[in-house]
Amino acid sequence: MLMKAENISKRYLRKTGGANYFLAVKPLNLELSAGETVVLMGRSGSGKTTLLNMLCGLLSPTEGEVWFNDTSLYRLDDQALSCLRSERIAAVPQGRSAIDTLTVLENILLPAKLYGRSLPVSDARQWMERLDIAHLGDARPAELSGGELRRVAIVRALTQSPDFLFADEPTSDLDDENTRLVLSTLRDYAHERNRAVFIVTHESEAMAYADRSFRMDGGQLIPAADMKGAAPA
Amino acid sequence: MTKRRMFLRMVTASLLRRRSRMLIALLSIGIGATILAGLVTIYVDVPRQMGAQFRSYGANMLLLPQNGETLGSERLAEALRMIPEEALVGAAPYRYVRLDMTTRQQSFTAAGTDFSQITKTSPYFSVEGAYPSEPRQVLVGSGIADKIGVRVGSSMELTYQPTGSAGSQTSAESRAPGAVLSGKAEGFGGGLVYVTATLDGQSKIASVSVDASTQTPEYGGRVQEDEAFLNQLVGQSLPVALGDGVDALTGATVTSAAVVEALNQATAADAAARPRTLNFTVTGILTTGGEEEGYLFLSLQDMENLTGSDQLDVAELSVSANVDQLETYANAITESGGGVQARLVKRVAKSEASVLEKLTALVFLVTLVVLLLTMICVSTTMMAVVSERRREIGLRKALGASDGSIRAEFLGEGLFLGLLGGVMGAILGFVFAQVVSVNVFGSSITFQPLLLPATVIVSMIIAAASCLLPIKRAVAIDPAIVLKGE
Repeated sequence: MLMKAENISKRYLRKTGGANYFLAVKPLNLELSAGETVVLMGRSGSGKTTLLNMLCGLLSPTEGEVWFNDTSLYRLDDQALSCLRSERIAAVPQGRSAIDTLTVLENILLPAKLYGRSLPVSDARQWMERLDIAHLGDARPAELSGGELRRVAIVRALTQSPDFLFADEPTSDLDDENTRLVLSTLRDYAHERNRAVFIVTHESEAMAYADRSFRMDGGQLIPAADMKGAAPA
Repeated sequence: MTKRRMFLRMVTASLLRRRSRMLIALLSIGIGATILAGLVTIYVDVPRQMGAQFRSYGANMLLLPQNGETLGSERLAEALRMIPEEALVGAAPYRYVRLDMTTRQQSFTAAGTDFSQITKTSPYFSVEGAYPSEPRQVLVGSGIADKIGVRVGSSMELTYQPTGSAGSQTSAESRAPGAVLSGKAEGFGGGLVYVTATLDGQSKIASVSVDASTQTPEYGGRVQEDEAFLNQLVGQSLPVALGDGVDALTGATVTSAAVVEALNQATAADAAARPRTLNFTVTGILTTGGEEEGYLFLSLQDMENLTGSDQLDVAELSVSANVDQLETYANAITESGGGVQARLVKRVAKSEASVLEKLTALVFLVTLVVLLLTMICVSTTMMAVVSERRREIGLRKALGASDGSIRAEFLGEGLFLGLLGGVMGAILGFVFAQVVSVNVFGSSITFQPLLLPATVIVSMIIAAASCLLPIKRAVAIDPAIVLKGE
């Protein structure tokens, strides 16, 4: 199981400023393999989220290819790409990401529902238990705190049981204890199930859970020191 | 929860959550559908409604005898059967003759007609008093009434002078002594037998002579000399009949019968040629603003009594139909070979058609504008809904929802609104049409069962079409940009 970004870059048109476009992500290569947790850190506006969106099939790169095994993601049609995103790739978007008309459990089961697959209810409950939101299954998103909502989004991604899980600021609204809980859960998911997890974060603590880590600076990807093994169990 | 239930739930949840927006969309579709259904109902009913209105303009078809034919009541009835019963508002037969008003030495055109039909074919006739309802009653045109000074309740003596009559004042019942009747009839072998009779003062035969020279001398020829046969005729009242005081000459029965027939035919011809006078009571004075004011109107029966004939000159028909249908009926009648010729009163028929045409165009135009406004309103509302739900749509796409499923959801919402608005509109539209119909045309309308599905389908199409642009917007939402952060 391999995800490979080949010379991908993203350029945005810019109406103001000197240049008429700006390079959010400079051409880069990156490989994600099963069983590893990759953490990407960097300042705001450094292009982290853009890279994550390109990797998880939400944003087509200006140049380059993203390979999912032998499939070039952005050569698929909308239906096939949507299906792939739903079945094999999971994303935890930034900020609030729950549909208010559905309950927490329904939100978690939404990806499976969108494709009419059998609902992984017991998986969902297990993950909810693990992230300490088991009691919130019937609640409405509007009743939840920011930290709880974050964990709902993470449980939703885990319940998809994806080959590749992309999490954008998964710990942004969490206290220290929950931050550790989430990070360890994500790492364990990668290790125990032999899947790949890609985390974009400001949280320096995340480095401790990474098998590999990178820093993004001005759209450039820079490998960071190997922190493997430094995390608490 | 199945996928379909989930879909329904999302659609209804979205509708409910944006209650006020959806209410506006629903209202605009509902109002659009109401006006659509209402106008279509009126449009469908207009020919009927206006048809009834137009019929107050008077007759729009005439039935005339074809060249060389006569128009009797049987032929008229036959022709009328070719027009659907429900379309035939009325059919007034007319027989026009000149009648003398002996006391004033004046003559007027008189029309024999059926008064029960006149009120249907000529509703604009204005009568002071009443239409004649019994024999020997006459309706007098106001022009005549003014001229001769008759009023309701006056009596008039009217005389029919057959063409060629001497214009004598002799009454129908008695003849002067010495009057002569002559007639002829076919005897044996087709030969003509001529009879001449003189009458006494009581209209009985005083003497009779027969010319049967065309008959075989040994048989029929004998009647002209047989005293016994000829004498039995003297003193008989006309008409005579064989076996009733008159016996046929033995061996000359055919010729005897011819003599009797010739006598009777001469009597009838004489009666027809004699002027007849009847006394009438004026029941009403007619005002029309037209030439009818110069006519007298009496019943067909009185006309027949006066003229001895039941032939008609024309029948005026009021038919509730459009020009094309009228022409179809007219052609059918003319070409049926019944001896009747049908003609349209073009002035009436054409003006009806032109009014209907304009009304139809107006209804179409208003419907079109209303539907356009509905589309704009629904489209704007749905656009706002898409804007509000940008983030949710982006999220769903990020979670693997395809463009197709986003499309389906918004289309589902639109169709649902269309369905609801359509049902609402079909019902309210009928009420609307009913109110308009009662207030404008003064009559209620019938519910068109087809209108319900038609309105619902049109509403759904309009709603779906209104959603096209908002759907395009929704599909174009880029999850990467929307989810980037708040």
